[in-house]
Amino acid sequence: MLKKSAANFTGIALALFFIFPTYWMVTSALKPKGTTITSDYDLIPFSVTFTNFVTAWTKPGFLSSLGNSLLVTLTAVVAAIVIGITAAVAMSRFAFRGRKSFLLLMLVAQMAPFEALLIPMFLMMRDLQLYEHLSSLILVYFAVTLPFCAWTLRGFVNGIPIELEEAAMVDGCGRWGAFQKVTLPLLGPGLVATSVFAFITAWNEFLFAKVLIRSQDSETLPVWLSGFQTAFGTDWGGAMAASVLFTVPALVFFLIVQRKMVAGVTAGAVKG
Amino acid sequence: MTAVETTETAAPAGDIPPALPPAVTGGAHKRRRRGSAFDRALPYLLLAPALIAILWLIGWPVVSVFVTSFRQLNLGELVRGEVVWTGIDNYVTVLQDERFWEVSLRTIVFTVSVVVASVSVGLGIALLMRVLTPWVRIALQIAMLCAWAMPILASTTVYQWMFDQNYGILNKTLVQLGFDSFAGYSWFSSGTSTLSVVGLLIIWQAIPFLAFSLYAGLVGIPRDLYEAAGIDGATGWQTFRAVTWPEIRSLLMMVTFLSTLWDFKVFAQIWVFREGGPSGESTTLPVLQYLEGIAKSHFGVAAAISVLMMVILGLITFQYLRKLLQTEEGKL
Repeated sequence: MLKKSAANFTGIALALFFIFPTYWMVTSALKPKGTTITSDYDLIPFSVTFTNFVTAWTKPGFLSSLGNSLLVTLTAVVAAIVIGITAAVAMSRFAFRGRKSFLLLMLVAQMAPFEALLIPMFLMMRDLQLYEHLSSLILVYFAVTLPFCAWTLRGFVNGIPIELEEAAMVDGCGRWGAFQKVTLPLLGPGLVATSVFAFITAWNEFLFAKVLIRSQDSETLPVWLSGFQTAFGTDWGGAMAASVLFTVPALVFFLIVQRKMVAGVTAGAVKG
Repeated sequence: MTAVETTETAAPAGDIPPALPPAVTGGAHKRRRRGSAFDRALPYLLLAPALIAILWLIGWPVVSVFVTSFRQLNLGELVRGEVVWTGIDNYVTVLQDERFWEVSLRTIVFTVSVVVASVSVGLGIALLMRVLTPWVRIALQIAMLCAWAMPILASTTVYQWMFDQNYGILNKTLVQLGFDSFAGYSWFSSGTSTLSVVGLLIIWQAIPFLAFSLYAGLVGIPRDLYEAAGIDGATGWQTFRAVTWPEIRSLLMMVTFLSTLWDFKVFAQIWVFREGGPSGESTTLPVLQYLEGIAKSHFGVAAAISVLMMVILGLITFQYLRKLLQTEEGKL
């Protein structure tokens, strides 16, 4: 009994440790101006205001960088998912010469150390005249997420019995019809989980966003936020409000697929 | 594996123009050779876009980084479009630079500390979660989820605010607790201290993934194994060694490898805190690569650093893939 309450006590302490930065971000964002930067001990807020959110929202660059982030991330993820599905179907539903080498290539590509490819990527985008264009980031994020999407989706396609497709084909569906009417709907949850993971990867990316884009108009949100001191000075309340706005989309997606995500990342890592 | 033969006549992937949108198709894999040419080409058609993208956007840069590392390529050469080969000069420059060794050592120490701390605490939390009262466990899971989901730049900004010299909640709390010397204490005055804060941030954000995956692995261990151990009168430690450890070892290995790969490559957090400072004391290899390559436009030297980084990462990846393929054997 004592052991159990000690465990619970540790659990609660850990929960506080993990939640605290989120708590602090939200409460700092809700504090009225002038009460954020204070020497008073203010662990618990007593008054609440939303002006910090208005400040952050109307800061020059916030909306454009939010738009850029959404554009880049969504385009890259949609492309990676569409091309990933075709590759996943080929890897999981067909037997052909070179299949094993291709699987291995996917696995290796998924582990590719993109950070170490910064210089050649930079030079390549410069040669392609894409430097300073958002399309360079779309290409990089597409490349980063594609092997992961293809590999994970392959796992999900493997999980759908091929007999279902065969039955549909016996009933007169073409191959495309069988895929569209049987496999694709069953693939739904896997598709959501995979695209959310890809979304988060691209949503977070900082190094390439910093290197490939230098003009303020095309900045993505992580780069804009990294320079928050230019925008906010010591207005920590505003900076925290911007951080909250940056977190919300990621958190919502996370909550939708949290369970699937653990399974997705470690799929293939464990026997049985 | 199904015993299907495909003939050499199948269209090689390279013949398909990348712009052609492939037809998405699912099909039975128990087909015979009598399928039409289209049927035989179909898997290659489906793979072509992914293959072309990977070769173009990953394969080519990998080749290019090696090639560039043997060139003298500064801003002048880049603008003029000159190709100047310098052999191994870039490597000599990098390897003779004392700073490179200092930075490499720091990167390794940093990576190992962060990985060891996050994996062991992650495992501890996973084990702890099994004995927690349900509502405590759910509270802990929600708290970890919040940490996990926070975008890196948001969490970095929050940590900067918490560790702020004058108004940060940490210093204020320490003063409240009676440690008056922390009033106005700067956590970023030395490299070690800066990297400790960065390390704490990374560990805090890495643990949720580790704890959730390891917990998922622990939950999968059959209950009767524990019952058997209980009947045999095994102590808690003996049960862990004999039942839990063998079941979770390969999973633990995988997440340790993944963490090593991820933590070695950390750039954003280190850069945003102090740009590798003060006076370069928190610079790690990815930061050094950025400083040499992008800030100073020494692309050749930076490419040599990239290659050396890839060698280290490659060794880790190779070990990881070997393990993965061992457990995945037959599944490919």
